[in-house]
Amino acid sequence: MNAKQPAGLHVVASEEESARHRLHLLMRQREALRPAFRATWDDLVRHFDGDALEAWANAVLALVHVNAGPACLIAYWDFSRLAAGDRGIGPLLAAAQTAAEICRSAGAQAATASLKAVPVAGHRFGSGPALARWWRAMETLARQAPESITLVASRMAEIVAPGTVDAFENFVTAGLRATSGNKARRTAFFSLRDELAQRLITRDFGTVTFLEAEVELRAFVTALWGRSPLLRTLPADNNHAPQRRVSIAGPVIRMPETFRGVRDDAARALFRAAAAHAQAHLVLGRYPFPVGKLKPLQIALINLIEDARIEMLAMRQLPGLRRLWRPYHVVTPSGVAAAPTLLARLSRALFDPTYADDNSFVAKGRAMFGAALPRIDDPSISREIGMLLGNDLGQMRVQFNAKTYVVEPIYRDDGLGLWDFGEDAPPSGETVEVPAEAVRIEKAETSDSDNVETDLEAKQESLGSARPAAPDQRGVVIAKYPEWDREHGIERPEWTVVREVPSHLGDPRQIEEALDRAEVLRNRVGRLVRGVKIGRTIRLNRQHEGHDLDIDALLDAGIALRTGEKPDPRVFRSSTAVFRDLSALLLVDISESTRDRLVSGASVLDVERLAVAVLAEAMDRLGDPFSLLAFASDGREDVKMTTIKSFAQVYDRNCMARLAGLKSGLSTRLGTALRHAAHVIGKAQSGRKLVIVLTDGEPSDVDVSDPLDLIEDARRAAVGLHAAGIDAYGIVLGKLGTQAASRIFGRGNTMMVHRVEDLPGRLSELYFRLARR
Amino acid sequence: MNLDAYRITTEPYYEPLGSEIQTFAAAYAERLPVMLKGPTGCGKTRFVEHMAWRLGKPLITVAAHEDMTAADLVGRYLLEPGGTVWHDGPLTLAVRHGAICYLDEIVEARQDTTVVIHPLTDARRILPLEKHNEIVPAHPDFQLTISYNPGYQSAVKDLKESTKQRFIAIDFGYPPPATEAAIIVRESGTDDQLASILVAIAQRSRNLQGHGLDEGASTRMLIHAGRMIRAGLPLAAAVQSSIVLPITDNPDIRSALNDAIEACLP
Repeated sequence: MNAKQPAGLHVVASEEESARHRLHLLMRQREALRPAFRATWDDLVRHFDGDALEAWANAVLALVHVNAGPACLIAYWDFSRLAAGDRGIGPLLAAAQTAAEICRSAGAQAATASLKAVPVAGHRFGSGPALARWWRAMETLARQAPESITLVASRMAEIVAPGTVDAFENFVTAGLRATSGNKARRTAFFSLRDELAQRLITRDFGTVTFLEAEVELRAFVTALWGRSPLLRTLPADNNHAPQRRVSIAGPVIRMPETFRGVRDDAARALFRAAAAHAQAHLVLGRYPFPVGKLKPLQIALINLIEDARIEMLAMRQLPGLRRLWRPYHVVTPSGVAAAPTLLARLSRALFDPTYADDNSFVAKGRAMFGAALPRIDDPSISREIGMLLGNDLGQMRVQFNAKTYVVEPIYRDDGLGLWDFGEDAPPSGETVEVPAEAVRIEKAETSDSDNVETDLEAKQESLGSARPAAPDQRGVVIAKYPEWDREHGIERPEWTVVREVPSHLGDPRQIEEALDRAEVLRNRVGRLVRGVKIGRTIRLNRQHEGHDLDIDALLDAGIALRTGEKPDPRVFRSSTAVFRDLSALLLVDISESTRDRLVSGASVLDVERLAVAVLAEAMDRLGDPFSLLAFASDGREDVKMTTIKSFAQVYDRNCMARLAGLKSGLSTRLGTALRHAAHVIGKAQSGRKLVIVLTDGEPSDVDVSDPLDLIEDARRAAVGLHAAGIDAYGIVLGKLGTQAASRIFGRGNTMMVHRVEDLPGRLSELYFRLARR
Repeated sequence: MNLDAYRITTEPYYEPLGSEIQTFAAAYAERLPVMLKGPTGCGKTRFVEHMAWRLGKPLITVAAHEDMTAADLVGRYLLEPGGTVWHDGPLTLAVRHGAICYLDEIVEARQDTTVVIHPLTDARRILPLEKHNEIVPAHPDFQLTISYNPGYQSAVKDLKESTKQRFIAIDFGYPPPATEAAIIVRESGTDDQLASILVAIAQRSRNLQGHGLDEGASTRMLIHAGRMIRAGLPLAAAVQSSIVLPITDNPDIRSALNDAIEACLP
């Protein structure tokens, strides 16, 4: 969006020389690198303008700073030349950023190898968002299994053979999960010597994975039952075990990644059948059943009756479900009467009234179920019938092996989620084999995230030590502002000191994940963005020319003619697209009170973060210049400002990392923060300037006893903003500070968000409303 | 002027869902303005017609749109051979001669337009015609009713607080299944069984509201589907053309909705 602006605009005054200048100086000293650098630079100059080149030079310097080494730099330059013509500077910068990350976690060699592998990945995934996801997966891998990067990079062509970035991500996560910390196994996996690895990269045409079907599946189940399902995948199993069934765990439905051997539409239909069945349990059933002293065979039978009962209830509401489930009941009344076959036949008999089976056990089950039909709403019939039938089957001395038993037909869940196995370990390991496994997986997952955290912390420490110490422990003084003394009615000059404090880097993935979870909101904001972007047209009345006559102007002209006056020739109506000319600064209060926990368990700051992330994404897509600042204060000498994003910066993962790294603490000296915001946005060159303040209470600080002083000061600061042509708008979270805020910003310029959870939606809506005016 | 053209002579069919008829009648008795809220196609407009018939008053309906100016509501000068002549707009007509004025989807109109109704909706009950230099006191029979759909309103399109707080509000939702089926039977002439299937289908789409759809299928849509069936279209095709295709363009949602509808069919 800034591509056409002159380069000089964005040079930050505090930097003595530009990054490109520094880079050129650096390269002049490096004999070996110079020719390659020269060639790349000449190439890039043809494609990009000053701003982009400056950003690129910064990216190269960042690589130099992490000791990437000559091979890595040359690899990056080769990549830059290759990708230069494609989609602008964005992918180049993102690549450098991730390569630097990889270099930090896994060393220069790994970063070089990754950069060299980009063309291979790019060949499959193009250069858009899919490639960005590829980079993200590589970064994860570098963090969790640094030694594997070179292995993976060297065989990239084989690994990306399945052709979707989902498959690649799946390959990486499966590898990390399946080898859970075992280095030798991990090496085997990522050098493709492992059987699971081989299978994951084998291209299987027509297989539908859960991930591909998920969006549709979720909507389907929601439409059926009016409740959005919590769908997750079960980890991959190996080829030799029987196909795993769907598993219910609490409110979560775990679906197998694929149903082996089922393809295309058939696979999608099977996913639907399975999800519809599982959610029917959760919506229509009442669980868990206490397991008591039941034997495995009895549990299996009670599950079977419960399945039949739930399906009967479901089909009463939605008769078409019968068509969905029927194709999977394929067992025939023949063959050896072993327990699994008998159970499958009973399932079919209870489901399909036209199915004929003369086996006495099946007939008895059918009769008992038929007799219980009048009270089918009662979940206890499953237990009654199941126990009796279990006894019968026991007396028939049919073999039942709980270990090898799988529920038939294939779309039904394994039934274990319906039971409460109690605190104690179950009497025999057999019956709960799968839940035990599920528990293990969950543990593995949590330990994964623990690792990530400790890794991150360790990395941050090492990063911290590498950074030059700040001149003052409290941060760099960047400005001094006056403050209003309410008691004496004077303005005290240079009363408060604003310091820029370096931001902590958090994990940008936290933000990305939070955004993913807030999908509904994101879509809504996305719609607003599209609506604005398409170019809203406004009508212009009384124009010299236009596509339509302006009736009112025409009448005035007619009247003028008749009264002998000179008519106004502007009698046309035209329309024009609205030109967006707005810059915005978002000021986020991160004082101690934002640490408060909400009912949902998230802190106020978490919600603020999400709200800011949603809005920042929208503003970025709109192309509105914007800046994000966070503030907290510790007395008048120390008003801390953290820049999450300045106007000159591109909104990227670094910004998200800084956003994720915000920490609650200290107080709220709002007036000073407002004055500083005015100072920052004052330099922006746009017709309309907007400062939005996000705060959760009234101003306060440790060295001010009467909060009214600070309220009055903030009010004056807001008035000052208004006088400077800057619109200041206050958003107040919670119920505190409502009065103070409307006093500071004026009632029309204050928005109350009583439920903090509503903030993300309200903030973006407010922005669009303000931006429209 | 005679408003007979605006009178409703035959009873418009309306199936009450709660006490809305009494509420509206009471508001009319006190000449208080009424706001009808609810999703699209749930019977707001039909209700106003029914009430106008029941109260025996003429009904003037204005559909608000983005470009609507105050002049479109209150009136303007027009040219005639002899000079200029003032023409009352629909709102002025209703105010002067005593009708129920129904502003449909009021949020669509620009905010500056909506404030012209303010003097009419408080104790003053007057309409100042600034251009015409006239203040029109409301006819004793005049009453203002507006409708708006909170579903797709956002901050960009919302009623001003100062407008909102002048109205008696009646909230409309989708009718309960049995009532909705009866409405479909009455309006489209399908049979009971078909009507309940259509209601079940609508329920599926309403479940997706906020999960891929902005709004579920309206009662009006179901009536349309019923009429398509009456005209000889098979059920599946009628549902497809009058519900699924209009409601969404997203292929995933469309396919999920189709599968869910399939589950409703016998």
